Amino acid sequence: MAYSETEPPPAPPSAKTRHRSGAFIAAFVSLQFLIPLTYLLRADPTDERFTWRTFTASAPPSCETSASLERFDGQREAISVSKLIQQDWVDYLSQDRRAVVDAFLQKQCESKGVLQVQLVNRCEGRSTHAYDLRCGSGRPHETARTAAR
Amino acid sequence: MKPVQRYWFGDVALARPYLLLRFVLALLAFDIWLNLMPQGAKYGVGGFNVAHFAWLDAFIPSSAFYMGVLAFTGVLALSQALYRPHRIAIILVAAGYTLGWACSLLDSVPYHYLLSLYLVCFVFFPMLSAHAAFSRSARAPRGSVWAYVLFCVTTAIVYFYVAAWSAAQGRSYWLPMACCFGYLLASMQDRAELPALRMTAPLLGAAPIAFHLLTPQQGWTSVYMIGIALVVFAPAGWVHALGRTLTRPTRSLTEERTEGGTDERATQVFYLSLLGLVVAPIVSMFIDLPGVKTGCTLTAIAMLLVMGRQLYFTPRWRPLWRVTSLFGACLALWITMAASHTRFDYYRQGQLDASRRDDHDAAMMFGEKADRYAP
Repeated sequence: MAYSETEPPPAPPSAKTRHRSGAFIAAFVSLQFLIPLTYLLRADPTDERFTWRTFTASAPPSCETSASLERFDGQREAISVSKLIQQDWVDYLSQDRRAVVDAFLQKQCESKGVLQVQLVNRCEGRSTHAYDLRCGSGRPHETARTAAR
Repeated sequence: MKPVQRYWFGDVALARPYLLLRFVLALLAFDIWLNLMPQGAKYGVGGFNVAHFAWLDAFIPSSAFYMGVLAFTGVLALSQALYRPHRIAIILVAAGYTLGWACSLLDSVPYHYLLSLYLVCFVFFPMLSAHAAFSRSARAPRGSVWAYVLFCVTTAIVYFYVAAWSAAQGRSYWLPMACCFGYLLASMQDRAELPALRMTAPLLGAAPIAFHLLTPQQGWTSVYMIGIALVVFAPAGWVHALGRTLTRPTRSLTEERTEGGTDERATQVFYLSLLGLVVAPIVSMFIDLPGVKTGCTLTAIAMLLVMGRQLYFTPRWRPLWRVTSLFGACLALWITMAASHTRFDYYRQGQLDASRRDDHDAAMMFGEKADRYAP
């Protein structure tokens, strides 16, 4: 029986072991080559996870994030984003990180009587990005306006 | 063997996988306790979370859950670094660590993903004892360790992509590319049939060391990568001599007789080990961070699982050493918490966040604790 706790110096691998290990090696190495390449297909260019594009943290955002919701009775309310979620999530929102923007808008739609939610990122030297989600519909609609300030 | 098979299954000085496994596990434990735990108060705030993978999105990790996972992973990792690692324990460390970062985008540090890849490689490392890796002779024992070669290739792929993205952005890429080639070649340096490579490989180690000293990096990336480069690129004789020196106390302490069968010590060892498993997590009661007690208790349960029937049927002191390593890891966690700013940073962060959200009760609670642990 193989004793998994302590092994003697490893013996030269048998042909069967080489074959099985080889299959694992091929799969593991292929995955490592393919995963960074998925960056080229990502809809969100700010999502640099698993790509080795950088070893540093992403640059701090220079955008001002605001959010509002519209109720079924037509009333509009401003949302204080930083009072609802942790500051790191606010930073993600202001960096236009799509997964976080989508989750945030969906979360606001869970409140009672909400018809539509909007999130706007006004950035220094960049276009203003607005995300609208009509509650109950699918993915938020994104619009970009240049020099909207 | 075909050339490709010779690359993966050729000989490696056993001192390298032995030291690499222990170095990364020990560093991982302190990295978790000093760099990740202070961030724990961010988790679960406002019931909002986005995971790294969509299938984890339904789960919102609380602060206590996150801290528990970190305590579990850190203590188990250090206990494995202190005494003979066990494959099941390494699987648990890999799972715990990966769950720790994967459960939330709050942890998007690039090298945490790399460490998970390393931990997967470690699962297939030979679980060498100090006696097996450092024989009494001065000659370094060698053996076929494909997982070590996979570790080196994994590192090479990282540098390859660093170089490729740099080239794509019109930046200098020769240094990360040199690191990539260095790792691909250094994994073969211990083979008797390649004496020229043995001479040149240590020189190639300058590339990763220079890269990590010159390029700004997040967290402890440089510490990990420079340490790994030293173990991978240094001449086998040096690594063997370092390992022999470091393991001398362990080798003399855990010297075991070769005869098999149970003896009269077995019962005493069983009760002592069991007592140790119960007592070790008690240390965590003095740490005063949410989830840590549960995390340490789970580590003791995991250790029981790891030892299994060996706890009673192993005739020698091995179970006791294993429990001692768990006790040492729990003690190290406690000392680290007492000597560092981890608790202060955790509660201060929680206080600031609660104040921002106008949650005055939580802010007061966090504030009191932050004052208690203020440096």
